[in-house]
Amino acid sequence: MNALRVLIVDDSSVMRKIVDRSLRQAGLEIKEVFEASNGVEALARMQQTRVDLILSDINMPTMDGLELVHQLQAVENAKGVPIVMITTEAGEAHVVQALSCGARGYIRKPFSPDQIKERIIPLLQG
Amino acid sequence: MDSEQKDDSSKRVQLIFSAKSSGPAGSSSKLDELPREEMAQRFTQSLDNAASEVFTMMVGTPLGPSDQAIHPRVADYTAMIGLAGDLCGVLSFRCGNNSALLIAGKMLGTDEHVSDECVRDALGEICNMVAGSFKGQLSDIAEKCMLSVPTVVSGKDYYLYPLVDGLRIQVSKTFEGSLIWMTLDVHNN
Repeated sequence: MNALRVLIVDDSSVMRKIVDRSLRQAGLEIKEVFEASNGVEALARMQQTRVDLILSDINMPTMDGLELVHQLQAVENAKGVPIVMITTEAGEAHVVQALSCGARGYIRKPFSPDQIKERIIPLLQG
Repeated sequence: MDSEQKDDSSKRVQLIFSAKSSGPAGSSSKLDELPREEMAQRFTQSLDNAASEVFTMMVGTPLGPSDQAIHPRVADYTAMIGLAGDLCGVLSFRCGNNSALLIAGKMLGTDEHVSDECVRDALGEICNMVAGSFKGQLSDIAEKCMLSVPTVVSGKDYYLYPLVDGLRIQVSKTFEGSLIWMTLDVHNN
């Protein structure tokens, strides 16, 4: 697997750092990490940059993660890029909604690096 | 309360939190059928489990037991999050300055000084994850429950008035030898 370019979207800067560290602890080789604190920033980033993986929170101000996933469908750079939601909102309704919007996976906070590995590596290989 | 205390309190910031059910009028959840004592026991256990899970997985330090029955009204840091839907109320997480710095440092994986902004951010996330894990454990009886974004207050010069008329659950634990506290105020639906 090539070194990855990853976009991490979360309104918490601490959580963005935890996700970044967890990816590395999970054994993924990271080339570059881009950060965004809400959906609007993430969309702007994706207009300019191509990444291999997007990890996004759901509950964020300005634009939430579900709307982001929906709007990313129209962004050329996001085509084929796996999007994984990382959120405290792990109820069945939220999971169904996220997956129907186009997300490929779902990780509940709190999470371990092993869970990251388990959910993300198959997406990158498939 | 003597007059000096009265004067002090009048200068304090008053934080008033309210959460109302967003469900359709007349809707009921399985919570309504649960006896109050059983509900209190279930909430206490779920809150305890949620905090333990969050600290073990995201802070890297398991919480220890505490037998402290009296909870302080305020602490150096208070993080709060609202719950609405089947379960309505406010969850607060409180801790001292040293614990707050240590929690943030461990979450960031650093021994270096952590900015106050990062401390507030970290405590807000802790409160958010505890609330999420808590409601996840109650999904069989409170299926439709939403969380607000967290609010964090630093400093002790305030009063917190949760506008709830129901149940109060208090859990204290130890983190690296210091006490931390969680309070859940739940509305009667």
